Amino acid sequence: MKRWIEANSWTLGLAVLLALLLLATKLIQPGFGASGLDSLARAALPFALATVGMAIVVIAGGIDLSIAAMMAVASVTGAVLMQGATDLQSVVIVLCVLLLGLAMGAINGLLIVVSKVPDIVVTLAMLFVWQGVALLILNAPGGGAAPWLRSIAAGGLPLPGLDWLPRGIVFLAVVTAAIWLPIRRSKLGLRLYAIGSDALAAFRSGVPVGQTRIAAYALCGLFAALGGLSVTMGTGIGEPIPGPYLLASVAAVVLGGVVLGGGRGGLLGPILAVLILRTVRMDLTLLSVDPNVAAIIEGSIMVAVVMFGAVLATRGRRT
Amino acid sequence: MKRLLLGTAMAMGLAGMASAEGYKIGISNTVQGNGWREEMVCAMKAEALASGKVESLNIAHRNTDAAGQLEDIRNLIQAGVQAIVVNPANADGINAAIKEATDKGIVVVAVDQAVTEPSAYILSNNQTEYAYLGAKWLFTQMGGKGAVVYMRGAAGAGADNDRDVGFKKAMAEFPDITVAQEVFTGWQQDQGKQQINDIIAAGVPFQGIWTSGIDNVIVDALVESGAPLVPVVGADNAGFVGQLSSVEGLQGAAVTNPGSVGGAGVALAIQILDGKMPAEKTVLVNPELWDNVSEEGKAKLAAAANPNLSPEWPVSVSIPGWTTYTMDQIIACKGPGE
Repeated sequence: MKRWIEANSWTLGLAVLLALLLLATKLIQPGFGASGLDSLARAALPFALATVGMAIVVIAGGIDLSIAAMMAVASVTGAVLMQGATDLQSVVIVLCVLLLGLAMGAINGLLIVVSKVPDIVVTLAMLFVWQGVALLILNAPGGGAAPWLRSIAAGGLPLPGLDWLPRGIVFLAVVTAAIWLPIRRSKLGLRLYAIGSDALAAFRSGVPVGQTRIAAYALCGLFAALGGLSVTMGTGIGEPIPGPYLLASVAAVVLGGVVLGGGRGGLLGPILAVLILRTVRMDLTLLSVDPNVAAIIEGSIMVAVVMFGAVLATRGRRT
Repeated sequence: MKRLLLGTAMAMGLAGMASAEGYKIGISNTVQGNGWREEMVCAMKAEALASGKVESLNIAHRNTDAAGQLEDIRNLIQAGVQAIVVNPANADGINAAIKEATDKGIVVVAVDQAVTEPSAYILSNNQTEYAYLGAKWLFTQMGGKGAVVYMRGAAGAGADNDRDVGFKKAMAEFPDITVAQEVFTGWQQDQGKQQINDIIAAGVPFQGIWTSGIDNVIVDALVESGAPLVPVVGADNAGFVGQLSSVEGLQGAAVTNPGSVGGAGVALAIQILDGKMPAEKTVLVNPELWDNVSEEGKAKLAAAANPNLSPEWPVSVSIPGWTTYTMDQIIACKGPGE
């Protein structure tokens, strides 16, 4: 038990911080309740899915700057195809968009592995490519979304006693667990961490580094597609201009305890970090803080928490 | 640090509860750092202050997409505001949150651009008329014939679509006018300048230029390249209005597109909260045209010029019949309690 707590101290710390923030929100706004949690979950969904995708490539020792642009491609593709489609057709469309995400991510990974150009350069270039593709598909916000898709993450669970639990959170947990847990427990999961912590050592131990890297980027693309669909879920349309998800996802990954060099960290921490950042944003709106100051506060909180964590980590190592 | 955060939050929360009565209004805007939008937000603050009926403004003002605006509107609902004035990211994307707000009895006013959610009030500049007025003046100035460079706004934006309708209406009235080139400036100064330079360099003949508000850089490009100064139509941005009186030989007209429509939106929200319902759900503010050819236009231009305004702000800082603040109040850009 003690060892488990030590191993997961960062994640536990984030969970406590989130609980305190939610408590503070309740104090600021006594009316904060189920509907507040619901709007928090819906706002966090695209950010959380982008962050999960980003966390996977970062764990594998890379970074994907094209994530927001891939989300835009997925969002507009889904929205354009779903306009006027029947429910059955829209299910097929959603599956196709997810495959498209996998393919986009795999292309990113393939280019990195084949060209041997650093990840940051390739994905920066691909950012512009995917942005152009999104505009080519839809040059202005438009399209539609199937009603069933729009209602997936809206409101509370339809279960007595659990109606306060937002469907958005359940959706996020189910999707992430369904994709990540089997991988984490398989050979691929070990390999992702192995190439992230030391690619050369992994190669010498017989890990197919190139293939694993491509798989990491493909997974990132898959989560980007889920994120893009979640944007369409919320707005009911597709937007070709990428939203603010790139920097937000990198920030949440770092805040969530994933080491930027790769090889260390999990997915729960980054997801908690996303919820923390969204709650801070909500509190700043509730307190009607000057909008120009709000951004500074958001950034300062992030730096403070990460620095606080670094101090704790060095202390822990010394004792 | 956590304890400090909590303590501060509690103190601020209590302070909020203890203050005087009055309306609590929320504002949501998704473009930050653009002169027009900054004027809009300042007009909102100034109007809330001048009305004397607003206790506090909750302002969500950042660069984000429609999904981010959904989050902001829902946070404003949580904050317990009685009205929300919003400049929508697009016409359809934020309908879900607007519906949630109006279902809770919150008054929602969309300013500048329309939304398709029927429960919202819309107070917008009449963009069709904006384009028609300017294009008609331009075509008349060109003697009813010749080729015009048509420099539009951002592809797919609601305001751009409406302006295109107005422009086409004027085209239909002048059968001998043709379009030399049609481009989207994206309402970006640098992009617009590049485009007009390309058109001049390509030697495309044109006798007039209609712009969707990216105007002063176009005049700059004509002057710098030594191209003939054809008539130019733009918006009432301080820079272009200045050029209309300072650039020798330039014939042009500024069509008003007041950013102060934000202040008018706050005024409308207060009226509705006071129980005075407008006759229509959609209110359009009609533009005016100030040219530097007629004496009347020159007088209007001279009256509108104000050296205290930021050069990127539209000079039409108030909307008669709607806004009640003074020039000093909007320039100060302070809301209630600031």
